[in-house]
Amino acid sequence: MANRRNEVTALLGGPQGAGLETAAQVLSTAFAITGRYVYSYREYYSNIKGRHTYIYVRISSERLPQTAREYPDIIAAIDAESIFHHFTEAREGTIIIYDTSTVNTKINGIVSIEPETRNRISSLLESSGYEKTVKGALQYAEERGAKLIGLDYKLLLKEFAQKTGKSTYRARRYLNTIPMAATGYLLGLTPGELEKGFRRRFRGREQIVADNVKLAEIVAGYMREMGFKPSPLPEPTNPPDKFLVVSGNDIVAIAKTIAGLRLQTYYPITPAADESVTLEAHENLRVDGEDLGSVLVFQTEDEIAAISAAIGAALTGVRSSTTTSGPGFDLMIEALGWAGINEVPVVVTYYQRGGPSTGLPTRGGQEDLFNALFSGHGLFPKIVLASGDHVEAYEDTIRAFNWAEEYQLPVIHLLDKFLANSIVTLPPNLLPPAKISRGLISTGGRGYNRFDKSGGPITPRAFIGSEETVIWYTGDEHNTEGHITEDPENRIIMHDYRMRKLELADEQIPEEERYRLYGNGKDFLLVGWGSVKGAALEALKHLDEEGLHGAYLHVRVMQPLPKKAISKILSDYGVDRAILVEASVRPLLGRLIPMWTGFQFERFILKWTGRPIYPLELAGAVSHIIRDGSRSEVLRYGA
Amino acid sequence: MALRMDYKTDVWVDWCPGCGDYGILAGIQTALKELNLKPWEVVVVSGIGCSGKTPHFIYANGVHTLHGRAIPFATGIKLANPHLKVIVSGGDGDLLGIGAGHLVALGRRNLDITILVHDNQVYGLTKGQASPTLPAGVKTKSLPKPNLQDAINPLLLALSSGYSFVARAYALDIKHLSNIIKQAVQHRGAALIDILQPCITYNDVYTKNWYAKRVYKLEEEGWDPVVKDPSEREDKLAAAVRKALEWGERVPVGILYWDKTKESLEDRIMRRIPTYTEKPPAMQAIEVNGKPVVDIEKILKIYSDYVVEVGRR
Ligand SMILES: Cc1ncc(C[n+]2csc(CCOP(=O)(O)OP(=O)(O)O)c2C)c(N)n1
Ligand SMILES: [Mg+2]
Repeated sequence: MANRRNEVTALLGGPQGAGLETAAQVLSTAFAITGRYVYSYREYYSNIKGRHTYIYVRISSERLPQTAREYPDIIAAIDAESIFHHFTEAREGTIIIYDTSTVNTKINGIVSIEPETRNRISSLLESSGYEKTVKGALQYAEERGAKLIGLDYKLLLKEFAQKTGKSTYRARRYLNTIPMAATGYLLGLTPGELEKGFRRRFRGREQIVADNVKLAEIVAGYMREMGFKPSPLPEPTNPPDKFLVVSGNDIVAIAKTIAGLRLQTYYPITPAADESVTLEAHENLRVDGEDLGSVLVFQTEDEIAAISAAIGAALTGVRSSTTTSGPGFDLMIEALGWAGINEVPVVVTYYQRGGPSTGLPTRGGQEDLFNALFSGHGLFPKIVLASGDHVEAYEDTIRAFNWAEEYQLPVIHLLDKFLANSIVTLPPNLLPPAKISRGLISTGGRGYNRFDKSGGPITPRAFIGSEETVIWYTGDEHNTEGHITEDPENRIIMHDYRMRKLELADEQIPEEERYRLYGNGKDFLLVGWGSVKGAALEALKHLDEEGLHGAYLHVRVMQPLPKKAISKILSDYGVDRAILVEASVRPLLGRLIPMWTGFQFERFILKWTGRPIYPLELAGAVSHIIRDGSRSEVLRYGA
Repeated sequence: MALRMDYKTDVWVDWCPGCGDYGILAGIQTALKELNLKPWEVVVVSGIGCSGKTPHFIYANGVHTLHGRAIPFATGIKLANPHLKVIVSGGDGDLLGIGAGHLVALGRRNLDITILVHDNQVYGLTKGQASPTLPAGVKTKSLPKPNLQDAINPLLLALSSGYSFVARAYALDIKHLSNIIKQAVQHRGAALIDILQPCITYNDVYTKNWYAKRVYKLEEEGWDPVVKDPSEREDKLAAAVRKALEWGERVPVGILYWDKTKESLEDRIMRRIPTYTEKPPAMQAIEVNGKPVVDIEKILKIYSDYVVEVGRR
């Protein structure tokens, strides 16, 4: 097994509802306690129980991985179906941990596999000359260099049941621990370390901890007897003293709390809802007996109500936001225009998933860039920014609230399912201290006019509820007092001044804060945004090793786009070396950039399977384009 | 502008002469005045329609929102600052058609907001199409054919949604109307007043004359709507439901149901966030000189369940 580069990736696969997430959490926590960095990423169906789900757990002794990667070093399967989904991911040296009692299971006997998937895998096995069984799939992998570790899960559970006095039925609930414990054993986790992982996951439920540890010991003993030797990761170099273990959803919740969000509305939707659940679980901001306030999280009847209530709340001066994904955002658009014309600072956190319509509801993508940018009838200013990893999500959340208030407009913060469902061990010192800027604020008073433009496009904002202050708002075009008027000259000023706020933002927010250029190789330039980042940065390293030296232009703010810098960088590389990378069926950033710069992309790497772009497939595609003259590449890695 | 304790603005009221909305406007203004509320403590929230313009004519905070969405906007305002008195003034199309889901949701929550339904049985501002309160088979002036769809009963809907104060009033009886508004505003919980409002331009069926002959006051017939103890709830609610069905030769107005014992949403929030009314979302300090009140160090404590200490458990 390859412990190359101080890191390994283990894939845990199994049916949804069988405790896979728990297993991954225990494993990740156990490694975090040892000072290793962990990046885990989960794929799952829109289903609660029974369909196949898998998690890549990437562990490093050196640094926090920036992405999941393909070709896991260990594939640990709970069930037969997992083997069928993942045997093609095995390479020279990959270890496959499987249940020996499933080897004769036929792919046709597995009802939970979708027919398209079953047929595709069947024909691969058939055309390559293998049986359409777990055995056939394992042989396929073995002949390509995989090492098989078969364990009789039933037997192990039986022993476990005997030793703990459980019925076989109850013992089965611990099935998920077997492949996880085997993985932990191979990676050199001691039973004590694993126990800490269990203890943290099952806080206070000592019996469950003890049972799991027992089973893990049985598994380890068995592996030892069979002659499998652990191959531990190197000791961590310079580990932090603590980690914040957070998903993309969690880090946004945390950043919102720091940014001063005190009222969040939402309507449940994947992959956004967990952010609100996290916030609600930590609603009371009480530290060492000191009350620092609270975050009110409110579940509304739909997304129209969610955004409307967030906007209403913002009028009273609270920092408010709502969080959603594509279908919910679509419902919010009319109200977004209301926030635009009324200059309301409201933040919409938008986790993209696969569309259109319900599309791929639990998979990811980057196809909603234009939906965020161009949503709403009539013209109104909005800032749109996107995050590529957990640290960016933290920074961008705070920037979103600041900009919303400084420019008095809606801000759309784009994230995606890939980031939402990636869990990382984050050393807290990676999170820079936050600054809060609330923009121009007025205490109001008699004679206060909310839309007085005599001082320029941004009117100091008073809040509803301020003493001696009466404020009107309307979605109709309005005068300085906020009353309706259709007067043409008033319209000239009001409509123009609103748009000027965006131009002001463009002048005032340095372009360097709106993009980042990584690397300086001249052979090629990758251009991307959001979750492309992790794969792109890692692809750069791989390509470097292969003698192709490139750079990555990461766009973080799409409106106002840092057009001068982008234009300059793109012209340095030219159309043959600039490659637009996006998780999308047609390149959206590749159409936005030309709008502002005139630069027309001619090289594209796209992926629209709903699975993330992985570093090695990306590196391969770049090499095709630069070395073999290909114009566009479609990526497809991932079950 | 000087402080105006008559709650009037200088905006010209552009409703049709003779519109029932004038009565509703006067009813709101009278109630606010008699309650002696300060204009900045009140927020009037409306949707879109003739009724939607109401806030512009009232000297108090006014939020004229989207068609159907007055309730969610009002919900956000009230949740963020529960010290504000929040009144929603909306059309029957607005509140019972496009926004009906929100109307039901507010009842479920029993949040302290007063809903005034401008019930004119038509979509006024779009020139008289049938609204959800126009009965089937009725053909008002601008309908090319009689209405195909049955009417919704706003009172029944409010009662079954959980409103703790349900009333009906008549737009042209300003004194009676403003009295009910006063009580609704003072009530702690979700209140709905269905206000029968003749539309002089488009509704030639339910006219001033039609109502004049039929409207009678519940309180004059000894109706007691008040639930003083939770044990009375079921009987009072059942009686109110029966009464809400009365429509035809006699049309009752007045307070139909008034549950003074039901917990409001604010009370429920208080049980989870004890400091909620003392320090509501709108009144919390979030920064000091640009530094967040809750910084990363504090987060590590609040989110201690997300922290893993290296070398420990
Ligand atoms: C989303 C949306 N759809 C349609 C309209 C057009 N529209 C304006 S007012 C109105 C109906 C108003 O009727 P009602 O709510 O009963 O108010 P009234 O004018 O009778 O007071 C409609 C449909 C709109 N403004 N927004
Ligand atoms: Mg109407």
